Amino acid sequence: MLDKLSLDGKTVIITGGGTGLGLAMVRALARAGANLAIAGRRQGPIDDAAAEVVALGRDAIAISTDVTDSTQVERLVTTTITHFGQVDVLINNAGAVQENVSKPLWDITDDEWHMVMNVNLTGPFYCSRAVSKPMSEQGHGKIVNVASGFGLRAGRDIYMYCCSKGGLIQLTRVLSFNLARYGVTANTIVPGFIPTSSTESDIRGTLPRSGDFLPIGKLGTPEDLGPIAVFLSSEASDYMTGEMFFADGGGLAAGLGPTGHAPLVALEP
Amino acid sequence: MPLLPEYDLSGKVAILATTGGDQAPHLALALSEAGALVFTIARRQSHLTAVLQALEGSSFANRGGVVADLATTQGTSLAMEAFDHHDSPVDILVNDVQSMFAKPFDEITMEEWDEVQSRNLKSTFLLTQAVGRRMVDKQYGRIVNLVSGLAERGMINTSAFSASQAGLLSLTRSLAVEWGRHNIRVNALGTGWTTAEDIPLEVQQEELLVRYTPLHRKGHPRDIAPLLVYLCSESCDYTTGQAVYVDGGLNAHP
Repeated sequence: MLDKLSLDGKTVIITGGGTGLGLAMVRALARAGANLAIAGRRQGPIDDAAAEVVALGRDAIAISTDVTDSTQVERLVTTTITHFGQVDVLINNAGAVQENVSKPLWDITDDEWHMVMNVNLTGPFYCSRAVSKPMSEQGHGKIVNVASGFGLRAGRDIYMYCCSKGGLIQLTRVLSFNLARYGVTANTIVPGFIPTSSTESDIRGTLPRSGDFLPIGKLGTPEDLGPIAVFLSSEASDYMTGEMFFADGGGLAAGLGPTGHAPLVALEP
Repeated sequence: MPLLPEYDLSGKVAILATTGGDQAPHLALALSEAGALVFTIARRQSHLTAVLQALEGSSFANRGGVVADLATTQGTSLAMEAFDHHDSPVDILVNDVQSMFAKPFDEITMEEWDEVQSRNLKSTFLLTQAVGRRMVDKQYGRIVNLVSGLAERGMINTSAFSASQAGLLSLTRSLAVEWGRHNIRVNALGTGWTTAEDIPLEVQQEELLVRYTPLHRKGHPRDIAPLLVYLCSESCDYTTGQAVYVDGGLNAHP
């Protein structure tokens, strides 16, 4: 029953695969047997990630891609299919957090709004649209979207990030409902607070510095997402679609506030 | 076949409690295939026999099991005494607590209501308390509650059953928060319309509910087995207090 957790011979496209959560997922996917098409804006990190995959004995290509440009996204998918012959899985992981992520509503410019919505929501839409035809024609495929706990809860002065990630969760549901008839599934990974170099430089003060405010008492690591990404990319998740898989240290089960709040109230007579 | 070592349960001891349904043998097989030693607590001898026959048929080493009414403190004590014959700690608890019941709300008797809540919810409370105390002492544990998607959605005639499942989901959330600092993870695995029988697709699709399910088939316990293994593994460290649904797309459906 557990053989289905293998990705032997599967081709996975992952965006934002050169750094952070994406790189950790690339490593786990390759260890599970997958061949990878790694996309990212900057060539250096995705070349390094591809070299790691090849060192594990799998095949990998690095394709510099700006997911907000649909022409580049189409090229990503056609290049992948030309090289590997097929695409089995798409992981929409590329995301943007902008400088000063938390900003009063009245100071947010049109461009700032559109930039984050384009990367976090339009990008995954373009990528999903591009793979949906070949996946539907081959009768199987998996789309995995990487959202955020901020897609379900509000953050103080965090508008674009929350709205785009909420939209991504809803995109997953609509994709799942409509692509089910073609054998294509779509699910969301919902990470909680997981420090990466990107959050270190961009989100800064808006994220908790430690796990003190989380039920499990510690922050997550990018490696926590590895086995989840492999499961959602594998045949072991064939009957799962339109769903969310959380990795948040219990943050969403409680919320940051009630953690540590332990009332004692006797039963009323 | 490259398989991540993160999914390995070798050396782990699991208690599997089942109050009904037909998925327990498959759940026990999955845990065993991943390397865990399974001890089964069943409400009926027939449930226990089905699990043990499946394990022995696949020649997986196991810890046997016991028949006990987990909805009573005596039954829970009896079950834990039987488990203690092996004199080993427990790492994993799987509560397969989905004794189904459907009847018009107006006709449900108090006895029926109590029985459904006892079998599915009270038994989970009592066993999880007994097993969980040991996990707290050991500062390690993985608890998975199997729940129905009816924890989230309504359906005609399922009020009593749905309430029991929503109770399990809520228990999952609060216990995850309460025991998070003890290195114990508590999650729910949600299922939709399932059967352990291998029914041909054409026959399944004669049923309205199957055609309504986006993936156009019923779920099988095999569909949730690998996920159960992950949720029971050490590497499932940052996921807690949540339900993961494997339901053919029912939850995302209009």
